[in-house]
Amino acid sequence: MDLLRLAWTFLWLSFLCIGGGLGIVPEIERQAVSAHQWVTSREFVDAYTVAQLTPGPNMKIAAFIGYVAQGPMGALAATLVMFVPAAALTALVSQHWAGLRGRPWAITAERTLSAIGMGLMAGGVYTLARSAIHDVRTAAIAVVAAVALATLRVPPVVVVLAAGVAGWVLG
Amino acid sequence: MTRPGLWRLTAVFTWIGLASLGGGRSAYFHDALVARRGWLRDEEFLQDLALSQVMPGPNFSNLAVGLGYRLRGYPGAACALVALVLPGTAIFLALALFLRHGLTADATHALLGMGAAVVGLIFVMTGRILRVGLRGRTALVLAAGTFLAVGPLRLPTYAAIAAMVVLGCWLNRPRASEALTPRDAP
Repeated sequence: MDLLRLAWTFLWLSFLCIGGGLGIVPEIERQAVSAHQWVTSREFVDAYTVAQLTPGPNMKIAAFIGYVAQGPMGALAATLVMFVPAAALTALVSQHWAGLRGRPWAITAERTLSAIGMGLMAGGVYTLARSAIHDVRTAAIAVVAAVALATLRVPPVVVVLAAGVAGWVLG
Repeated sequence: MTRPGLWRLTAVFTWIGLASLGGGRSAYFHDALVARRGWLRDEEFLQDLALSQVMPGPNFSNLAVGLGYRLRGYPGAACALVALVLPGTAIFLALALFLRHGLTADATHALLGMGAAVVGLIFVMTGRILRVGLRGRTALVLAAGTFLAVGPLRLPTYAAIAAMVVLGCWLNRPRASEALTPRDAP
């Protein structure tokens, strides 16, 4: 039963995913941390951090939450429902997309969903910031990282690893 | 336009999945499939990119599915999905579980620092996307409303999306002046 609940939760989470995985971070946190207590708030932020450092889609954090909640079967179930049903739907629509794209209502949907997706992404940044930044040190690291990426064009992975060293030295 | 075999497709998509670290991940697909190998034209790529943004589900894997389908039909879509998701997820899961069990005080501090840096990075990356993507007052209202609902107000995401889809479809409804594009005109 618990496995079914886990699978059902990640299934509907995957269908809320508009404009990138970051957008459903607030809802994943609500479900996995607050509602079902599958992982702690710290585990969630740590997992997201590790997800940024490893290749592949960010929504692979479903595998981690599933594993912590229900073991290997949980990891498998959460990953499958996160990626496969949405992919099947995309492949189906893909056949007809060329013909649909120019229709007026398709343009309406594209404009609406892309704006909502961007609002969701901003919400994801907000949620992660609330969990990851809790004192002057973490705030300073976040600001330095932002400046390093924005003005110095340092590659993201280098910034994250350097921040790891900084956290270790300052801690 | 050359189209690859299933094997070649899987190998290339696996490589893209492993190489795509950090932001702007769809750019890796463009580089590998359009610029480098000439398997697809720009127009085809942009069509699949738009599709992946409209369809529900993780964008990056949906883009892989759309491109895989275009190159090799349903088998191509299936291979593309597995190649993109599986290797990265396995590496991630091993590392995340290792860190969870073997956390020393030093590792905890390092991870705290890295978590804070990730927030700084995604703030900048998201800001860039919003700056080019949010055109016009309607888009701004929809994005701001969605952000307030799921961020500070902590409302359920499905409620926020439902309300904003209704509002957005009305604000963005097809107008008479736009409906008569040259293609639709008799």
